[in-house]
Parts: sequence; C-alpha cells; structure tokens
Amino acid sequence: MSVNGAILHMEKVTKTYGSGDAMVTALQEVDFEARPGEVVVIMGPSGAGKTTFLTIAGALTKPTAGSVIVSGNDIVNMGEKGLPDVRRDKIGFVFQSFNLLESLTSLENVALVMTPARGGGTKAGRDRAREILTMLGLSHRLNSLPKQLSGGEKQRVAIARALANNPDLILADEPTANLDSARGREVMFLLKQIAAEMGKAVVIVSHDHRIREVASRIVWLEDGTFRSDVMTARDPVCSRVIEIQGAPTVEYEATAFYFCGDNCQKLFELEPVRYGSKTA
Amino acid sequence: MLLLARKNLFSERIRLIISVGGVALSVFLIGVLLSLYRGWDEKVGGFVEDSDVDVWVGSEGTNDFLAAASLLPLENADEVGEQPEIDEWSAIVVRPMQGLAVKIDDGEDTSEQEMDIHFIGYDPATNMSGPIKIEEGAEEPGEGEVIIDQAIKDRYGIGVGDEVEAAGRRLTVVGVASGGDFVASQSVFVTLAEAQDLLRMEEAATFIGIRVTDGTDPQEVADEIPLQAAGVVAFTSDEFAERTRERILGNVLPILTMVLGLAFIVGLAVSGLTIYTATVEKAREYGILKAVGFKNSYLYRLVFEQSLATGAIGFLIGAGLTILFSPIAGAQVPQFVTLVRWQDMVFVLLATVFMSLIAGYVPVRRLASIDPTSVFKA
Repeated sequence: MSVNGAILHMEKVTKTYGSGDAMVTALQEVDFEARPGEVVVIMGPSGAGKTTFLTIAGALTKPTAGSVIVSGNDIVNMGEKGLPDVRRDKIGFVFQSFNLLESLTSLENVALVMTPARGGGTKAGRDRAREILTMLGLSHRLNSLPKQLSGGEKQRVAIARALANNPDLILADEPTANLDSARGREVMFLLKQIAAEMGKAVVIVSHDHRIREVASRIVWLEDGTFRSDVMTARDPVCSRVIEIQGAPTVEYEATAFYFCGDNCQKLFELEPVRYGSKTA
Repeated sequence: MLLLARKNLFSERIRLIISVGGVALSVFLIGVLLSLYRGWDEKVGGFVEDSDVDVWVGSEGTNDFLAAASLLPLENADEVGEQPEIDEWSAIVVRPMQGLAVKIDDGEDTSEQEMDIHFIGYDPATNMSGPIKIEEGAEEPGEGEVIIDQAIKDRYGIGVGDEVEAAGRRLTVVGVASGGDFVASQSVFVTLAEAQDLLRMEEAATFIGIRVTDGTDPQEVADEIPLQAAGVVAFTSDEFAERTRERILGNVLPILTMVLGLAFIVGLAVSGLTIYTATVEKAREYGILKAVGFKNSYLYRLVFEQSLATGAIGFLIGAGLTILFSPIAGAQVPQFVTLVRWQDMVFVLLATVFMSLIAGYVPVRRLASIDPTSVFKA
C-alpha cells in the first residue's frame, strides 16, 4: 500500500488537543511525503507542531483526521496493539538526548531492539548489531556503557539502534542539538549517507542551520501547517533558523540580522562585533 | 531472564541489597516463626502420640495431658481389662509441679535449680506413658529412682548420678530419655507405685492408658467407654495429642499469625518500595522502550522478573539463615525449639512469590501510563 513510492505518506493530517475553547490545533491538514534516499529537514519555530508531526509519523500518536501510511502500513486505521510492531519493524528513531539504556552496553542497546526476524535474542542478532556498530565506526566501543561514551559516540549508537531492524524510515528529533559542531556535522553526514547508500527515508526535525547541508529538501512548519513562502535566516546568537517575517531585526554594518527573540537581540546589541563578525 | 531485567537489577547494587535484605528478613522471620511453631507443636503433642497408648481415659472434665486435673479411682478398673477389644491397660499418674534439679559432686549437693516438671508415674511392665527413648542409663526406674528428659539435662546440667527433688522426696537420676519435652515443662519418670505413694494416690490414677487388640478401631473403644462407665471421658491418642497441642498453642497461634502477617508486610513494603522507586527512576527508559516498539507486556515482564528475582534471592538467603540460625538459637535458648519442615519452606517460597508479584504489581500499573512521546523532550 505504498503511495507513489513514498515511504512516509501523510495526507490532510490534522491533530487537535483539548476541546471547546481550550482546543489547540497542533497540525492543520498537513500533506507530506518522504521517499527512499531522501533527507527531509523540518524546521520551524518552537510550538510549530514539529514534535507532534514526528510522533504522528512515528506511529506514537494518532491524528485527529487524515491519513498516515508508513511503509505501506495505514497506521491511522490500525489497532493500538499493532502500532508497536510498526514502530519496531518499520521506523528507526534518533532522539535529541540519545535515549540509550544506561545499564546496557553499546552492543546490547542495539541488539535489544532487534526483532526475532532479525535475530533478536540470538547470537546472529548480536553479530548483526556488531556489524552495524562497526559500520558506524564503533568497533572499539562495543562493550562500553553509555556513560563511558562521548556525545557523538552516543548518537552513533542511537543511530545504530535505529538501523537495527533495517527500517525504511528514520525519524530524527534534533539529532545534533547536544553535540559540538564537529560531532554534529559527523552525525549529519552519517544520516545523509544512510539515506543515500541504504535507501532509507530520513526525516529530521531540527533548529540547527548546519543540517541544511545534508538536506534533500527543507520544509518550514509553522502554526501547524507547512509553508512554502517562508524566507529564513539564522539567529547569529543562538544559531537557530528562523523565519524573517516578524522577527526582531538589527542593522549592523549594512547587514540585517534577525533574532528568534528579544533576548538574543539584546545579547547581539551588547557584543555586535562578536556575533556580527562570526556570522560574516 | 531478560537481559535488561538482569542488568537493571544488578546495576544498582545498593538498591538490590536493600530490596533483597527486606525480603530475606521477612523470609527469615516467617521461617523462624513457622519452625518455632512446628517445633512446639511436635514437642507438645509428640509425647502423647509416641506413648504407645491407643486410648486415654480420664475423669470427666479432662481435656488434655498437660493440665492433668483428672483423678480416677481404680477400684473397678480391672473390669476394663475384661473387655474383648482391650488388649492391655495401665494406670498412669501425671502431675505438673515444681521440682528441684540437684547437681551432685562427690556425694555433695553443688547446685540446686528450680524447674517446672511433669511428674509421671508409669508401669514399666507396659511402658504406657513411659520414657519414649532412653538416651543413656537405665531402661526403667527402680524405687527412689527417676529417669529425666534430655531437655532437663541440657537446661539444668544434671544427669545420671544427680538427683531430682519432687513431691517432697529426693530421687536419684538413673537414666536420660528423649521425647518428653513439653517446652514449658519436662517429664520425669518414676514407677507407678512410687508416684502413687508420693502423691498419696493409692487406688487412684490420673489416666488409664489402653491398648486395643489388633484390628480394633481405637475410636470405637473411646466412644464406648463413657457409655459403660459414668464420670469418665476417653480419647484416642491422636485426639488427645491434638487437645494437648491446643492447650499450649491455641493461645499462641493468633499471636503467631499476627506476627507472620507483620513479617510479610515488612518484606512486601521493602521490596515493593525499592522496586517501585527503581521503576519510577527508570520511567524514561521504559518510555524509550515503548517508543521504539516494545509492548506493555514486555515492560510488565521486565518489572515482574526483577521483582521475582529479588524475591528468589531474598528467599534463598532468608531460608538459609533460618536453617542456620534455628539450631544455634536452640543451643543457646532451650525453649527455642524449632522444626524446619520442607513443607513450610515451600509455603514460605509461595508467600515470597506472592509478595514479589504484589511488589511488582503497583509499578506495572505505572508503566502502563507512561507516555512514549515524553522521550522527545530533551
């Protein structure tokens, strides 16, 4: 039931929380597709509905209306009991704070999630987990606990875990947010490589402008809808990508700088040389 | 056992020690109390059961062996033996009293200790209500002689050659027997004639012990006797033993049950709280597992396996302590009479499993409410 070859197909997806006067619309008739080999980056301000989008695409939350198909599985009309299987078999998750299990080694973290079909609970499964970790450059960290790993290593273990069941779709929530620039860049290109070489569809929700480098497409989500007419800029203080329209702005050395909020603007005005020259 | 359950359990050593310690303490308390109860039960009723008497006859109102308020005139007792179902009978004198354990060294008294005894006069020819098993010395007492129970020897340090003062006379200890310890008091055995003389019970007895002929049901005889002779009651050996146990343990049992319940609650509270806090602390990890596709049933299994493993380790330690502690305590405190039965250990094991399941149940309910989308929060 794959739609037009898309791994993730969302059509007129709406999600509301609460009812009556307290009703909040997180997503409003959103259409979206992600295809094999594609890295789609979703950007937008805080509260735009990015996390809601990710939880619906990840079969964690059902939409109020619309259709969501993941690798041919209609997750809207699927019973609650079937959703965990879709998440485990068809989707790989990469989280901002890694979310590794602290008492398990790298190898065990990856092997744990493997389904029986992939050799979960067997030596074959452990061998496969070892292969994936080795492929991601972690052969020397197989038996390390998460607390013994650097941030970049943790995120690579998390990516290995996401690949454990060879899913078609990888959903990444701010995968570089807790990493320094070098490690963040490493992770970005790893995700791009996974999409290109393994034919996965990678959907990334991020504020990090650097992620644009690896994106096949960037979409802007704001107020629960995707917008195509948005011009963006990077806040020179916090590095978030923001929509220009309506953002606080400062002219400095004939260049317009845009900010996510008043705080960043004030910090910039205190040290314009520092932030202005870095941007330049 | 699931890998994650094992890792979670053993990665937090202090928590594991507290949790296992709570269960072990609970198992230990339950095990010791049960074995204490069994020990008393065996001791208190064991003598009546092992006395080789099929039917016990006492005066009306008699209920058990230990109170022994019975007084039976013996003038017509010979008629008892004429009944075809009765193989043999014997008068028995029993009197609870305070005696004196006298240690003799080189013919001199070196120490005297008061003791609670059951002064038993029996006919050595039938050995009904006599010593159960001779451990040392004479097989039967003669005139002016007494056989004491092993527990008297252990508690008061007297043995063959020492003396017992009872019913106003010094009697020389000629033998030591086992099987006559009632925990709160112990048996001393003299001949029936000696007891009747000392207690001024000529032509009277406390009980008449009866052995029935082969093939006769003792219950039928016990039922028939009160119909034939006025003012007497008769019990089979099993019934009399049970009534004797009830005399001592009937009042203890409710207290014991209460303490057993408290011990269970202690174990449940400690293991339940530690497992609950462990689950709460790992709530995010359980959320991660849910998010990446594990079902609630897997999470429930994780918690219950940890709870049951804690219970199993606690049981092994607690049961081991019970088995080790009981004989040591018994050696130090003679009243600490215990009997560790495998059936009771199975009961404690089942109680531990039940405890573990309850301890796991509350955290499991919390797991069900964990929202997997919460893992998207940094």
